[in-house]
Amino acid sequence: MEIPIQKTEGSWLNDIYRSLKISYPKFFKMDNLSKAGFLASELLLKDEIIDKENPKKDISIVLMNRSASLDDDRMYQETIEDKNNYYPSPAVFVYTLPNIVNGEIAIRNKIMGETSFYISEAFSAEKIYTAAMDAFSDESISQVVCGWTDYELNKCDVLLLLIRKENQNGKPFNINNIYHLHI
Amino acid sequence: MEALILELKKEIIEVLNLEEIKPEDIDENAPLFGEGLGLDSIDALELIVLMEKNYGIKLNNASEGRDIFKSVRVMAEYIEKNRTK
Repeated sequence: MEIPIQKTEGSWLNDIYRSLKISYPKFFKMDNLSKAGFLASELLLKDEIIDKENPKKDISIVLMNRSASLDDDRMYQETIEDKNNYYPSPAVFVYTLPNIVNGEIAIRNKIMGETSFYISEAFSAEKIYTAAMDAFSDESISQVVCGWTDYELNKCDVLLLLIRKENQNGKPFNINNIYHLHI
Repeated sequence: MEALILELKKEIIEVLNLEEIKPEDIDENAPLFGEGLGLDSIDALELIVLMEKNYGIKLNNASEGRDIFKSVRVMAEYIEKNRTK
């Protein structure tokens, strides 16, 4: 499900943001991983969590990827590798952790439940399933936003799911369905 | 001074990724923080880097920024007096 992009790196994410008519200026400060995860969460949650104003302690966020924050790590290194042009960028540095994408989604939706981020060598429906089910071991959690959010060298691979403890009309949450939704 | 103010507005928009703001949208006399542009503490650190990188002004104490970043005009006046490049 990798999408090779020909445009300027990341600019297509801004195009999607504008097409969704979202008003959230902080979006433009995010790194590409956070932008991709944020946009997926907007599409996923727009009909689910209508109320973005009140804190929700019963929702957890569990994400996973392969590339961690490598794009940002490289970008940050560029700002510090030349001793004669040594200007570390605070705005880049804050994104040199992949779990910042969890935070961006949580802040936007006032999700106050536990969040976690895992690194895996490759997409794994089994690992996503296990990690999401672990989140439900906290009895106060009734919904989990989970999935795969990978962005490196302008290749984006994102699958975001909303899992409910009490399933309503959605697909059953199992490894097979996660696998097929990612293909 | 007016040319420096315009230059500064363009640099601020670029380094702070204020994608939907144009130089003419920024009131050079309005506070940079607390209202208007909605800047945060990371933005303040980026402005400190901007001062050093583009104008050779090194702020040794981040709290100095409180006075210098009052507005684009105050920032420009400080740069004009203290710039080394």
